Amino acid sequence: MPDSETDSNVENYLELLNSNERGLSAYVHALVHDRSDAEDILQGSRLTMWKKFSDFEPGTNFLAWARKIALHQILNYRRSQSRKPVFSTDPAFIEAVAEEIDRQSDELSARSEALKICLKKLPEAQRKMILFRYYEGFTIAEVANKTGRTEGAAYRLLSRIRKALNECVSQQTQTSAS
Amino acid sequence: MRITTDSDLGLMIDKDSIDRLFDDQLSEAEAKQIEEAIIGDSELRRAYVEQRWLHAELIARGEELPDLFESKPRTGFPEVIGWLSAAAAIVFFASTVFLISSDKSEPTVATLIEAENCRWSGSELPTAEGAKLGAGRLALTEGMATIRFDSGAIVTLEAPTTLDIASAMRARLIEGSVVADIPESAHGFTIDTADTEIIDLGTRFGVTTTDLGSSHVFVFEGEVEVNQAEKPGTKLMTEGQSMRIGEENAFSTTSEEGEIARHASLIAPGDDWVAITTKEGRGKDAYFRKTHDESFGSDPLIMVKETDLSDANRRKAALTFDLKRQALHRVTDAKLSLKIESSGLGFSSLVPDSEFVLYGVRDSAMDQWKENEVSWSSAEPFALSDNPDAYESLASFTIKKGSPNSAVEMQSEALTHFIASHPDDLLTFVLTRVTGENDKQGLVHAFASKEHPSSPAPTLWIQTSQE
Repeated sequence: MPDSETDSNVENYLELLNSNERGLSAYVHALVHDRSDAEDILQGSRLTMWKKFSDFEPGTNFLAWARKIALHQILNYRRSQSRKPVFSTDPAFIEAVAEEIDRQSDELSARSEALKICLKKLPEAQRKMILFRYYEGFTIAEVANKTGRTEGAAYRLLSRIRKALNECVSQQTQTSAS
Repeated sequence: MRITTDSDLGLMIDKDSIDRLFDDQLSEAEAKQIEEAIIGDSELRRAYVEQRWLHAELIARGEELPDLFESKPRTGFPEVIGWLSAAAAIVFFASTVFLISSDKSEPTVATLIEAENCRWSGSELPTAEGAKLGAGRLALTEGMATIRFDSGAIVTLEAPTTLDIASAMRARLIEGSVVADIPESAHGFTIDTADTEIIDLGTRFGVTTTDLGSSHVFVFEGEVEVNQAEKPGTKLMTEGQSMRIGEENAFSTTSEEGEIARHASLIAPGDDWVAITTKEGRGKDAYFRKTHDESFGSDPLIMVKETDLSDANRRKAALTFDLKRQALHRVTDAKLSLKIESSGLGFSSLVPDSEFVLYGVRDSAMDQWKENEVSWSSAEPFALSDNPDAYESLASFTIKKGSPNSAVEMQSEALTHFIASHPDDLLTFVLTRVTGENDKQGLVHAFASKEHPSSPAPTLWIQTSQE
């Protein structure tokens, strides 16, 4: 019966998508500047991945396969959205960065895990800044407004937090590597 | 890292300038310049990806950041969110690409294991017994339903209740009452209300809310943690404690027009019947609560409860009707009707189907009780057991567990005879509940009193013969 075959296909796909969702999402957000563009692209990628799921060879790296499809979506998306006022990013730049991400793939996933630990170490006030920017999705101007800072001060604080997080992540990954 | 300078703009390309890209802190020209430098410089590219990845990872984790910051474990929740978005995506595919059987594609998080005399309205989820439930809304208008979450948590809904199931570990109580039984596997199970988060720490607890926004939390066993939106900090509640949150006024004056219309026909038996309510003439109604010296005569509710477990919660009611101008000796039939209301106190799942008994007061001297003066202790004459001759048991009725707030009617020959043979035109009745409770937090039954703003007051219907 095609029905039961379809069901197990759906389950397989969902399982793979679920365990790779965040990795794919980070990949697209790393390559696409605008957040809502990135969400559109992710949605389109999931659809294409499902359509092409029969091409996926079980047992091979699903995330790598998914990234390939997403990168294609990103490059196409940019071309079809030329009307957007957001300044364009050179496809050569996207491809260069995508290549670099592939090269550092293992290291980056270790960094993703370490980030969880480092986030927990943030003091309360800094957590608030992170939540405003990344959970609420506020722009710097909105964060500044919410926290009663100037835009420049809000940016500098956020930038310092990212720097601290990055340093913590590097330390964590080096410790666990050695 | 090597620091690259660009002669045209004089911009230093380093970690700080890269970071500026993420928050739109650069002009288009500056951004372009950095991009070009990154394309041409492998070391810069490496640094860029490292920084960019953190930014992207934070965006990707956006939804779960509050949970990541929490020190307490909320197992399963972020994963479920992932699943839900995947499920939403697959449903979208299903409708656009081809048809698939939808019951398997939606992850279920709970099962409806028991549905007694249930009526549902506006539920997004299947409502047959044994139904697998995903995330979504259950709206129970009548009856009592029990859900077992996949985490092991068992939650009983008492109509009228609306519950949003979020995951195997979380649900939101929109309105109504639930009792949660949490086994070890589901520690951390959380029920949210409009302004409160109740996290289970291994327990049995109950929550009621009213549409006025107040909620009431009871802990039957174990411990729960309560976080209120309005107040900082976490409150720990232990066994036997209860807490009222939000608006103090627990009495809801809202009424559903449809419901009243439904009961209007129920309490209008025919043209030749005459209705007398406790509002008329010297009529009065009140309830008395054991060991409480205040009177509840002007309360909009008449509350009745029987219990062996906490004496101070026993309540009984007295009703007096003024039947002046009625030819009592010609009464051929009679019934007494009461509109059931929610007391907002206690849980009906902790009380079995409840039997009530109506007594007629024989001693006319007792008709003179004062609505706003009489308390349990001063209502000693109403102590049924002490004075069996002064009372006559006239009728009884049963309110089933989780039954809707409809009306009850008592009709019996004894009632008719009691009225027809009454020596004067003031008739006093005492209403008690016979059925006790299984737990101290059992339901307090309530009926509309004559002070109720929207529901009909206690009403005595009589039919008289034509001379």
